[in-house]
Amino acid sequence: MNENQINSSGFNRRDFLRGGSMAAMMAFMGGVELFAQTNAAPPGGEVKPGLKVKVAVIGLGTWGRDILKTLARLPIAEVVAICDKYAPSVKRASGDAPNAEQVEDYKKILENKNIKAVVIATPTHLHKDLVIEALKAGKHVYCEAPIAHTVEDAKAIAVAAKAAPQQVFQPGLQLRSDPQRHFLLPFIRSGALGAWVMARAQWNKKHSWRNTSPKPEREKELNWRLDPAVTLGMIGELSGNQLDQAAWFFNAKPTAIEGSGNIAFWKDGREVADTVQATVHYSNGVFLTYSGTLANSFDSDYEMFYGSDSAVMLRGSNAWLFKEVDSPLLGWEVYTKKENFYKETGIVIKAGASKSADQGASTAPEEPFTNTPLSYALGNFLRNAFDIATAVDDFKASFGDDDAEALKEHLAKVRRQPAAGYLEGYQAAVTAIKAAEAVKTGKRVELPADLFTV
Amino acid sequence: MKRKTLIAVQVLAAVALALPLSAAERLGAKPGSKMRLEGTSNIHDWQVEGKLIGGYIEVDQNFPLEPGKEAKPGKVEIKGEAFVPIRSMSSIEKDGRPYSTKMDDIMYEKLLEATNKRITFYPTELVLKEAAKDKTAPYVYDAKGLLAVAGVTNEVSFPVNVVPQGGDDKRIKISGTANVKMSQFKIEPPAPKIALGMIKTGDDVKIIFDWVVGPPKKSAQ
Repeated sequence: MNENQINSSGFNRRDFLRGGSMAAMMAFMGGVELFAQTNAAPPGGEVKPGLKVKVAVIGLGTWGRDILKTLARLPIAEVVAICDKYAPSVKRASGDAPNAEQVEDYKKILENKNIKAVVIATPTHLHKDLVIEALKAGKHVYCEAPIAHTVEDAKAIAVAAKAAPQQVFQPGLQLRSDPQRHFLLPFIRSGALGAWVMARAQWNKKHSWRNTSPKPEREKELNWRLDPAVTLGMIGELSGNQLDQAAWFFNAKPTAIEGSGNIAFWKDGREVADTVQATVHYSNGVFLTYSGTLANSFDSDYEMFYGSDSAVMLRGSNAWLFKEVDSPLLGWEVYTKKENFYKETGIVIKAGASKSADQGASTAPEEPFTNTPLSYALGNFLRNAFDIATAVDDFKASFGDDDAEALKEHLAKVRRQPAAGYLEGYQAAVTAIKAAEAVKTGKRVELPADLFTV
Repeated sequence: MKRKTLIAVQVLAAVALALPLSAAERLGAKPGSKMRLEGTSNIHDWQVEGKLIGGYIEVDQNFPLEPGKEAKPGKVEIKGEAFVPIRSMSSIEKDGRPYSTKMDDIMYEKLLEATNKRITFYPTELVLKEAAKDKTAPYVYDAKGLLAVAGVTNEVSFPVNVVPQGGDDKRIKISGTANVKMSQFKIEPPAPKIALGMIKTGDDVKIIFDWVVGPPKKSAQ
């Protein structure tokens, strides 16, 4: 998905209310709470049996292993190789991909023509060369977010991805593939919240961020997040999805960031803050306040979007609407499921839960493990890789390969599963890098509009 | 028996393709083509569109390559193939917006995409009915040929308009509409299981195409 597609959505309040009224009627007829959308398609869309994309995972730390576990559950994914330069990490991950080739040199992955796609989950500062080489090798590339730890690296990646229209490049902005967010987007853009007021995001977890190893050099590698020379710190490494989501929902770019951070609890000699706060100002005049800590896990992670009529809270793939007493009646919310939050009543807004309505269940079932934002992001990546590769083959079979412009034009029209592209990846990385700078220096960092262009 | 007939037709098409045309001009597919399938159902009409039509034709010197060129009435010698990769087609709303990937998958399944990746037309006959009245007007022909869909080949005929575009690349737009039935190609009209199976698709399908062809690019000196 590119920026134009997002901007051209053309949502308005009338469109949303029309959809909401239909959903309300359906809910009323069934006598159950409103779940405003039919079952969401599985990750990667409806995938026919046998449709497989051969994929390799490079970087097998904690997150790389989570990715591997998720891929193992996706019907479209055939993990044929796993790679990490540290052999014990490869061995440790092999249980989740027992049939995959175990590799310590990523070049072997890039040379293997059988492998069509790679997922890069190495430390952030190692992304650039890997992504550029993988794209040059003709691979479809999924690169974890943030895509880079410097603006220069992020731009180099974005430029390389832009120059490779025959391949899919997807940054790890998983919320951009989440059906719940896509269900919410027209709701939010249609003005159902009233005038924008502000937003808030939080990430709390009690965790040292420190890993140990008997080998000092390995321990240094493992603790790259605590290395001031390469890390973006808490806000840079962890807030990428949340800040990107705000830019997406606001349809606006960050213009300035103020931040601060301190070492509140983990006084183990580290120089990287374990507790951070930031205010991100957006071009629509609204700001988002962010806070995060590694010293307390209360209330975990969530995002709040406040309008003059109502507020929306997002936690994982769940969302609730909190209305002001003087806000206009939308109609459908009367029939929806409600949940209490202390003295507030939250109206459940949830995509893909109509199964519970069918079954007459009073609460939405927990989604299966595979249907997380990460599984949608990876599933959509592989499906898009398959569809783009098919479109390239079809085009070349039809017209040869001497008209690159016509091919590019053709590929731009290929239907894609929702996913972030190089531009969103670059812009999210720039925001994360500048947020890290604001937290580190304690100074306001301006973000001119031209910083976000590729 | 049916299988033997099919093989015989395919062999005939292959033989026809192998025969040389005297003083033939070879025109290859170029970007800018479009094929649209239109059909009906008991709830609303449906449409499917694709932008890829590959292949080539070889035509004799009586085929108009330039706008306003004189063309003799009667037959034009022709051979070649025009094909549409099935996966390049997708369902759309009437206004062109994407419709449904589920519908696409139903279409691919009905067209036996797994084993027959393309819809292919082998032209066998082209007869000029009406020469162009001016440089922008079409030459009108009656076309005949073999249409292969989902592993079944049938002879079809339909009128086509040929409009030479001129210019440096001398592209030619060949447009037409052919009416076929799904049952001709042993395709059972889809009846999706949604809506209690009440949705019934009509047997008739209209194939509307704009195929752009042109001579090979001249290599740089």
